[in-house]
Amino acid sequence: MVAQQLLNGLFLGAVYALFAVGYTLVFGVLDILNLAHAAIFTASAFAAFSLAAAGVPLPLAFLGAAAVGGVLGVLLDRAAFAPLRRRNAGTLVPLISSIGVAIIIGAVLRGIYGVDERHFVTGALDTAQAIHLGPVTFTTVELTIFVAAVALMVGLSWVLRATTLGRRIRAVAQDRIAAALLGVDLERTIAATFFIASSLGGAAGVLTGLEYNSVTLDMGSPIELKGLAIIILGGMGSVTGAVIGGFIIGAVETLAIALGLSEWRDAITFGVMFVILVARPSGLFGKRALRQA
Amino acid sequence: MNRTSVPALALLAVVALVAPSGASSKGPAAGKTVHIGVIADVTGGAGVYGTPQKNAYELANEDIKSGKLDAGGASLTFDVQDAASDGAQVVNLMQKFMTDGSTPLVLGPTLSGEAFKAFPIAARANFPVMGTSTTAEGVTAMGPSVYRDSLAESQVIPTTVKRTHDKWHYKTAAVIYGDDNAFTKTDGDIFTRELKAAGVDVVDTETFHIKDTDFQPALTRIESKHPDVIAIGALFPEATKIIQQAGKLGIKAHMIGGNGLNAPDMYSVAGPSAQGTVVGAAWYSGAKYPSNLDFVKSYTAKYGKGPDQFAAQSYAAAQIVAYLVAHGATTKDEMLSGLHNVRVIQTVLGPIGFDPNRDVKSSPVILSIVKDGFTYFH
Amino acid sequence: MNALAEFYARHSQLIDQIGINAILALSLSVSLQAGQLALAQAAFMAIAAYVTAILTLTYHWPIVATILVAVIVATLVGAALAYPVRRLRGVFLAIATIGFGEIVRVIANNLGITGGAEGMSGLPQDANTATIYAALAIVALVLFSLSRTKFALAVALVREDEHAAAGVGVDVGAVRTLSLALGGAIAGLAGALYAHSSAFITPTDFGFERMEQILVWCVIGGVTSPLGAVLGATFLSVLPELIRFLADYREITNGVILLLVIVFAPGGLASLWRRGPVRVRV
Repeated sequence: MVAQQLLNGLFLGAVYALFAVGYTLVFGVLDILNLAHAAIFTASAFAAFSLAAAGVPLPLAFLGAAAVGGVLGVLLDRAAFAPLRRRNAGTLVPLISSIGVAIIIGAVLRGIYGVDERHFVTGALDTAQAIHLGPVTFTTVELTIFVAAVALMVGLSWVLRATTLGRRIRAVAQDRIAAALLGVDLERTIAATFFIASSLGGAAGVLTGLEYNSVTLDMGSPIELKGLAIIILGGMGSVTGAVIGGFIIGAVETLAIALGLSEWRDAITFGVMFVILVARPSGLFGKRALRQA
Repeated sequence: MNRTSVPALALLAVVALVAPSGASSKGPAAGKTVHIGVIADVTGGAGVYGTPQKNAYELANEDIKSGKLDAGGASLTFDVQDAASDGAQVVNLMQKFMTDGSTPLVLGPTLSGEAFKAFPIAARANFPVMGTSTTAEGVTAMGPSVYRDSLAESQVIPTTVKRTHDKWHYKTAAVIYGDDNAFTKTDGDIFTRELKAAGVDVVDTETFHIKDTDFQPALTRIESKHPDVIAIGALFPEATKIIQQAGKLGIKAHMIGGNGLNAPDMYSVAGPSAQGTVVGAAWYSGAKYPSNLDFVKSYTAKYGKGPDQFAAQSYAAAQIVAYLVAHGATTKDEMLSGLHNVRVIQTVLGPIGFDPNRDVKSSPVILSIVKDGFTYFH
Repeated sequence: MNALAEFYARHSQLIDQIGINAILALSLSVSLQAGQLALAQAAFMAIAAYVTAILTLTYHWPIVATILVAVIVATLVGAALAYPVRRLRGVFLAIATIGFGEIVRVIANNLGITGGAEGMSGLPQDANTATIYAALAIVALVLFSLSRTKFALAVALVREDEHAAAGVGVDVGAVRTLSLALGGAIAGLAGALYAHSSAFITPTDFGFERMEQILVWCVIGGVTSPLGAVLGATFLSVLPELIRFLADYREITNGVILLLVIVFAPGGLASLWRRGPVRVRV
């Protein structure tokens, strides 16, 4: 049973990590918490549902929906964050504007899709093979989702390390003013960051929707807070930290359930986060030391 | 008590008999306007439950206009207001309806917790309210003007356990329920109690949170104890995933559930693993009561999908109110008196009445999930 | 006079809610004034509400005593919380305190004495409008008189530049602890009043949604002043009823209003009164 639980934790953690990475990218570059991230997660899941329902093959629907998430992220920045940047409004005020956008996205989704749960009606999901590998069981769908999540995170890592865009993003994250002085086009880099972060968050949404074959208006709320715990744990602004943090939280949750402590699960997750935060305020991999307010 | 309402009350007291629904008649309130307040969570976290409720009332409004739902010639309308799953709005709406001078009765709210916030206000003013989905313990105890037309889990689950135990003679069971929602927690507690009372050994108890999507850790734990039966205290979104994932993990135990599983697309969402799951419910979409099959047909035609139990219990409330109005009740005192004296009303839930505690008197129906919906459990 | 009485009879619940929400918003503004994004108000509210409810329902204490004890407990929790988070700033502090809120919510959900997920019903609803607004007035008075002391100066210094403040001899740790404790006290008062004006409390009343709501009230109203907090709480408490006629479009209107207000007036509604640019860096 332990092996099966570990596997459960691994699969859970992969998607959490993918979601958290989007949070941490935006924070690293802009020092703000994007509280519309969960709404974009949900919007992409619905987009994938619509594309699949229109006959688009799943892999394409997945990519298309992730791109939709990316575009939403760019729009979010234009509408909610950029105007405030121009007015030098600090880091608290954008939190509120992102809440406003989250509400708008939710209302639009409800207007289009109604309140009912949606399901992917597709042969690939129905015929998901259960694979038995020694003491553990999983399905081809679960495996595909895990591989997709890992692939995306590896891809992101590569983009950040090896491409010009990645260098620019890291420069802006390090020191916005210096980067601007060195000729980096701030607004374009920020827009690109939002596109990447939100398409990853959107991808996490699609994968979550596929995993449980369920797309609902409120599918983003459980992960919204967990994402925060993960990026603290892993270290704000650190992509590696977000990934490892995601797996750790996935494991902690699964372990809590396996030990019969399911109803304390959230308290344990945040308790772990709290302890790490107090002992090591920059998180496990935080490159940033304590940020001054 | 004013003089004009006495004849109406007398009429109600005398005519507390089975009245056929359908044919529109001219009752004592003919020509009068009766405005009923409805509080429902159309948006927000409970929107998936409040929307079918709103749908049912809008259908009822149509049926009254067309004469299909007999209100005795009165112009009876149900005014559905959205509380957005916000307790503060529920309370404000209740006060609004109670004081607007033209509402004799309020239906709703959607959630038991909301009822616990709003009903005491109505109870203190002896204002009639009826819950149509608020099945927690203690709701009707809040006051003599508080009624409920939805069977509580404590009224249904004992039957569910007894009928399945009589048929399957199981010895061990596991219970899985949501621990952060009053409805699902009540389910879990009652299932555990009833199973033990039936001599069944509850070998494992697991809990989850509302909106959880991954139940495999918990199900893996359950399976390690090999229970004969798994009792599920969950609402629809979680229930479908529990059943589906149980199937995926190869769990072969029988599954039984509470009211939350009584939704038309259980099988289509949960998949083949749902076949044979037993659900203790307050309403069956295929029950051949006079107004039920027609209700299911009209609702499906109007909204593109079949009604669920939330919709049915709301429509039944509309039928109850229409019955009262058809017999002359237009003020709050007349409504109270009518509810107090009524014996049996034909509704989509079947023939129902109220017991001395103002809870609904109706028989639970034990169902089995099959490919196209449900059948009776035998 | 009759029209006033009728208005009150029809809206007394909303009026009471506004009063309590204003107190909650004020409790957060205390933290924000000190530059601390400490989002633990919902947790303090929860602790106070449950203490009050238990003392009222199980031990039948009189209302004033329950409020007093609840406020003291919430204050102590606030002061205690200051210690583990003493090195955290900005968003880190925000998330840590949100985490604290979640822990409190889960504890409330799992304990028998708090009624668990089923909550505590049958509360007496004995805090009338006068009591609530008297409390609000007291809080406003306390904050106003504090604003004229050296403490307020120290708080402003800490908010603007912590190092400079330490440089001129301000005990930054003490300022942060005191402001958290004060925030706890005020939020605790709101929580106790909430438990005495609501017939029922449940853990979900005090979760992240509530905290988000309080934050929105404060920022929309304007973080730089207590007036802003009260304005924001009042406006947003009344808004759902004001725009009820929009029916299905209420939800999106809510989001649009939030977005528009904050983008065009980042200093909040209170800043619309002021002259000149408002520095809102937190």
